Amino acid sequence: MSQSSRSRFVLDVRQSLPGWKQSLFLAASLVVGLAISVAILWAAGIDPIELAGELAGVFNGDSLRGVLVQAAPLMLVGLAASLAFRIGFWNLGLEGQMVFGGIFAGGVSIYEIGPPETRIFLMAVAAAIGGAMWCLVAGLLKIRFRVNEIIATLLLNYVAVYFLFDLLYGAWQDAKTAFPQSTPFQPFERLHDLGDGVNAGLLVAIIVILAAGWLIHFSRVGFYMRFVNANPNMAKVLGVPVRAVTLWTVVISGACAGLAGFVNVASQEGRLTESYADGYVFSGVLIAFLSRNDPIIVAVVGFLIAVLFITGQTLQVFYQIPFTMVQLIEAIIVMSVASSEFFIRHRIRWIR
Amino acid sequence: MIAFITNWLADAPTTAVPYALAALGLIISERSGVLNLTAEGLMLVGALTGVGTCLTLDGYPVVALIAAMAAASCVSLLFAGLVVVLRVNQVIAGLSTVFFCQGLTGLIGTLANWQNKHIEGLPRLDLWPLSDIPVIGRIFFMQDAIVYLTIVIFILVNWWLSSTMMGLRIRSVGESPAAADAAGISVALHRVLAIALGSSLIGLAGGYISVVNVKLWVTGMTGGRGWIAVALVVFARWAPWPALWGALLFGCIEAVIPHIAAAGIRVPQYLMMMTPYLATIAVMIWVGATQRVGGSEPGALGQPHVREERR
Repeated sequence: MSQSSRSRFVLDVRQSLPGWKQSLFLAASLVVGLAISVAILWAAGIDPIELAGELAGVFNGDSLRGVLVQAAPLMLVGLAASLAFRIGFWNLGLEGQMVFGGIFAGGVSIYEIGPPETRIFLMAVAAAIGGAMWCLVAGLLKIRFRVNEIIATLLLNYVAVYFLFDLLYGAWQDAKTAFPQSTPFQPFERLHDLGDGVNAGLLVAIIVILAAGWLIHFSRVGFYMRFVNANPNMAKVLGVPVRAVTLWTVVISGACAGLAGFVNVASQEGRLTESYADGYVFSGVLIAFLSRNDPIIVAVVGFLIAVLFITGQTLQVFYQIPFTMVQLIEAIIVMSVASSEFFIRHRIRWIR
Repeated sequence: MIAFITNWLADAPTTAVPYALAALGLIISERSGVLNLTAEGLMLVGALTGVGTCLTLDGYPVVALIAAMAAASCVSLLFAGLVVVLRVNQVIAGLSTVFFCQGLTGLIGTLANWQNKHIEGLPRLDLWPLSDIPVIGRIFFMQDAIVYLTIVIFILVNWWLSSTMMGLRIRSVGESPAAADAAGISVALHRVLAIALGSSLIGLAGGYISVVNVKLWVTGMTGGRGWIAVALVVFARWAPWPALWGALLFGCIEAVIPHIAAAGIRVPQYLMMMTPYLATIAVMIWVGATQRVGGSEPGALGQPHVREERR
């Protein structure tokens, strides 16, 4: 961009770009991101053809069932992130909120609160409260003390995980095993398959997503949220309860993440373990980012990331590729899609 | 009691150095107007490179630390490209860089089989006769070379940012990129430079943790220290010296944890490990309660500069 030379690149800001061209740029960036990921996997010793085989294998039988089970918590964390991002609250405490969701649900199970018939519902409600509470801490810190929520939520993740460790290596450890895990839940405390291999966790996720879709697109609160995000000062002047909208969004976001923790422990693990919330922060951010914070698209992207998770697990088992690979691919996809924004908004010209 | 305090404070500089160096690196890049959340990831890159170099060369910790700086600097160019050239949202770019680094270091560390391999590391210096002074000698004159080097780096960076042409240009780019641009200072160039230079210090911080302190590589071994460094920058109001004092404070807090257990005091281990994070949050509350809004942060922090969109 030097001014002195005659021929040079010039950057123009585009006034507008038709929708199909925007989609084209987005698709191209996804292709680039996935190509880089495949190249890295290739360098790590996985032939692209074998990779294609593994990926195709994910869509049949047991694997697909696994994907659908995995999709539920991912949809819920993606929803949690997207709700908070809608009002400009960077909720990066999804892992901590999942941990507390699991702990609260586990507490209901361990202390046998309520009759067996309603136990699972109590566990879900408790998990939502646990997640909401942990997210509200960061929300209050931001509103009351102007503590940056990015730092606060990230640090609270570590606090939550160490609290979980304290329970699992102490009061809640299963006396029958030496492992850091709680006693298994009773059968009526678990989310079971509904007929055709579709887990009840997915039903929970879809109900919550539909409710959130209604909240955002059709309710007054959804309208307020858009207002608060666009211009909080203006919203305040016009009588929008900015503080209440912010806090309630934070609470709902945390509740969704808490439910994700509940779904994970009640469907996949069946007990509290050390790692039921591992790797969900960035997955949530990624899902929210790719779905442009729209709940319905969150469901679709959540399913695709579940495919990525299950493929990652397969690669871990059969090729000894560590699961952090999934995180690497997620980061590459976010980077390439975020970069596509530049090409959508700018045009590069070469002047001779 | 004296023994307890001596042992504790003698360990504090070692735990403080990563915080200090990472915070200083972040300060350099944030002074140029780039909101930098990458510390946690780049520290991992530095830590892995340090151990990897030591294992490959069978020793040479100093070379390993230089390699750690270079590697973090190289990876930071990816972040620089995203935020400076492509003008990606700096929070999204920073977060994805962190998770990129977490994924990459986990992958390479496992595939290269560098996990849990003990290395020689850097010895503590023995500055006779100073080291033989009771209490004080143990705390001040029996540290490793990097502890003293950190103080030198702080003096140099402080001078560089406040008194050299380059430092002033970097700060002007961070305060008002449009004005700097009009004065003929290349915003993009100075921001990339600030990110790369700052990241080399972050890499050194990571390399210090693995090569000097822990002496091995474990996936995700920085354990949130990078995020604490980000908080430290806010606490220090983007000034080098307060960052050093803040780092010492956190070093003291973190260093006390193993000594309490070693002294035979029965406390829940995992609850104790929360303290650095809770202390950081407490410090952030204190900052929020006492500082004016945006009182001392660089004027253009977090804003991409787009000449074609200038108002």
